[in-house]
Amino acid sequence: MLEIRDLHVKFHNREREAVSGVSLTIGDGEIVGLVGESGSGKTVTAMSIAGLLPRKQCTLSGEILLDGQDLLHAERAVLRSLLGKRIGVVFQEPMSAMDPLMRVGEQVGEVLRIHTALGREERKARVLEALQDVELPDPAAVYEKYPHELSGGMLQRAMIAAAMVIHPSLLLLDEPTTALDVTIQAQILDLLKKLNAEYGISMMFISHNLNVVRKLCSRVAVMQRGELVETGTTDDVFFHPQHPYTRHLIEAIPTRGRRKETA
Amino acid sequence: MKYAAKRIFTLLLTMIIVSFLTFAAFELVSGDPAQTMLGTQATPERLALLREELGLNRPFFARYSSWLAGFFSGDLGVSYNYRQPVWSLIAPKLEITLCMCFVSFLLITVISIPLGIYSARWTSGPINAVRTAFNQLCMAVPPFFTGILVSWGFGILLRMFTPGDFPGLHEQFGASLKYLFFAAICLSIPRIAMTVRMMRSTVIGEMNKAYVRTAISRGNDRRGVLMTHVLKNSLVAAVTFLGQTMAEIVGGSIVVEQVFGIPGLGRMLVASIANRDYPVVQTIVVILAFWVVLTGTIADLLNQSIDPRLRLGGHA
Amino acid sequence: MNKKRFNGYLTAGLLITGILVLLTVIGAFYTPYDPTAMSGAAKFQGPSFAHFFGTDNFGRDIFSRVLKGTGTTLTIALATVAIGAVVGTAVGAVTGYFGGAVDEVLMRLNDALTAFPSILLALLVISLVGPGNKYNVVLALGIVFIPSFARVTRMSFASLRDTNYILGARLMGAKSGRILLVHMLPNTMRVVLPAITIGFNNAVLAEASMSFLGIGVTPPDASLGYMLSEAQGMFTSAPWYALFTGLMIALLVFGVGLIGEGLQQLEREVA
Repeated sequence: MLEIRDLHVKFHNREREAVSGVSLTIGDGEIVGLVGESGSGKTVTAMSIAGLLPRKQCTLSGEILLDGQDLLHAERAVLRSLLGKRIGVVFQEPMSAMDPLMRVGEQVGEVLRIHTALGREERKARVLEALQDVELPDPAAVYEKYPHELSGGMLQRAMIAAAMVIHPSLLLLDEPTTALDVTIQAQILDLLKKLNAEYGISMMFISHNLNVVRKLCSRVAVMQRGELVETGTTDDVFFHPQHPYTRHLIEAIPTRGRRKETA
Repeated sequence: MKYAAKRIFTLLLTMIIVSFLTFAAFELVSGDPAQTMLGTQATPERLALLREELGLNRPFFARYSSWLAGFFSGDLGVSYNYRQPVWSLIAPKLEITLCMCFVSFLLITVISIPLGIYSARWTSGPINAVRTAFNQLCMAVPPFFTGILVSWGFGILLRMFTPGDFPGLHEQFGASLKYLFFAAICLSIPRIAMTVRMMRSTVIGEMNKAYVRTAISRGNDRRGVLMTHVLKNSLVAAVTFLGQTMAEIVGGSIVVEQVFGIPGLGRMLVASIANRDYPVVQTIVVILAFWVVLTGTIADLLNQSIDPRLRLGGHA
Repeated sequence: MNKKRFNGYLTAGLLITGILVLLTVIGAFYTPYDPTAMSGAAKFQGPSFAHFFGTDNFGRDIFSRVLKGTGTTLTIALATVAIGAVVGTAVGAVTGYFGGAVDEVLMRLNDALTAFPSILLALLVISLVGPGNKYNVVLALGIVFIPSFARVTRMSFASLRDTNYILGARLMGAKSGRILLVHMLPNTMRVVLPAITIGFNNAVLAEASMSFLGIGVTPPDASLGYMLSEAQGMFTSAPWYALFTGLMIALLVFGVGLIGEGLQQLEREVA
């Protein structure tokens, strides 16, 4: 469904490439994890897919194909029609990612307003459905609230709803749980699993937290300094890491006194 | 609603403090009003009589409270210079000044807001440099200078109005407004420059915020982002600034009135200061103070309705 | 690598202001003509080599008058800003660093004061101390400018107070006075400097306005504002008087304004 071929991204004001020759595929309904430390290029990769990089400050080369359609070299108008509709994005910090002066319900329905011809009432109905899907208690109340009136966990659910309400093919999640409490993290992960199972939506889950990735993703890709150093199924990568960097990452996971499971 | 009540209470409290301080300050400075009014030739008996008449023998607080009450009853004392009740002297001038200030405010708002938003496009490059330099230039040219030029250019040269000959507000409203318009332009230019700059930097600041990226990720184009999200978020800073603008304009009007020969509040204030006509000065000061506090309060209340985070004394 | 961009604003601003200041300083010692010398024969002359800016209705050389006037304006503005900056910084430093109830009260007072247009406050002070005297003008304006400087430094000191850098100094036993002067003041300079440029411009415009109105500086100490009020009357017969006087004010404020922009750009590049 999504195919990245030999992606290179270089920012004008940096020496080395942010992304060097990354190739990755995401199949229909797959949840792929993209892991690495800060600066590894994982966020840049995701932003390239969504076309959210500032064009004037970097050069891109390679191909990014969404069901065969090249996103990288597409016209801005074409990209804009896809963004939100077929590709949804969930960002790290829900509180700042939302417009503080717009009610949550309206924001969740924004993609519908932009990409569909649905009327106000219809959009509201869909939004309420979506809010229920993400397991928010009392969707009608949440609809009327402003972002600062909700907790981080609830906001992130709303953000997921905002991306999901239009049933996109691909969901990009950039460290969506990093800013949340650990217990909430687990709930969000379960929610994402449920949505994936129910709607068959493909997901790219970015994180530096390997535990989280392990719980959710079926395949994992490891990035280091702009390069993709290892890919494989979650089990493969975790139990039989090939690349020294991967091993290094895995060894760094804190365990609770149990023996580390490495090859 | 609670916040509104709190704000209005603050306004009243401030006014009480300001009026008290003003009254006390002028008490200290003004000496004996009876003496000032009757001159040095006055006999002690006449002085005593006048003092009794003016109630100058009452204790400080009694005089202060009756003066304060005068703001509601319209009795604000008598001008030393004109021997006229202060309020009847000031009222027509207040009207004119307010008119001019409103025209100026309208000009500023209508021109600056769109210009400011539009110029947010350029954050670097030659266009930006030219804009910045021009902006600084507009802020550098004093209103009384442009006033002289405009007065001569449009008044004497082009005969669009007769400088120095202000048609009465009640007698010829249209002609008066046209007259005030030219004055208002000169008054507004520096403030327009400042407002454009404020608006521009506010919009640029908002465009760099995280929610803009979210909006783009949903498929908004630049115009959509601006109209749907950024504009409203920029409004709070704009409203606050415009509130301050309304207060600043009154300050600037003083000079412009002089240049254009407009019989407004500012000219009266200056003349009264020069003549040490304290009852008039006192009253005008309090009126101006009230104006400043009022505009600030209105701006705050407006912002409260725009940004829900500001309600109940919270912070954005 | 970020290239250091050519700071056009700063350069242009310093150039313009520098030239004006130079001219003014020279003018303090030498002017082509005595600024007050009247000459019936030389009335209403346009700009020429003999009289760069022409003459006015009394036959006085405008160029000399403008030089002297700019000097007065500059002196008053600098004195005003000095008072405002020194006293304001001191007040802001102390309240920002020590905080507490005094800080709260002063902050409220400050908010109330800065809401007023400075010219109104200046007029108020002048009406209390008496108009006409140039020292009173400096005093009035200086007082008026104290709150804005106080606010700027207070914010800076209050935010620096809790930084690790300062906490470290306190842990090492440095006394408050030393901390304020040696550690915090230099950091605050970065915010105070732009405030000084803005304050200077406001002072120039405020003083010019007041002198124009006749309650600022009056003869024999001619300032540009007063000269402009004179010039208005004879605009039809000697427009260059008003033109050059006004242009001088504008140029001075413009130059300093550009310096301010340049400083802002420097801040952006460092950040």
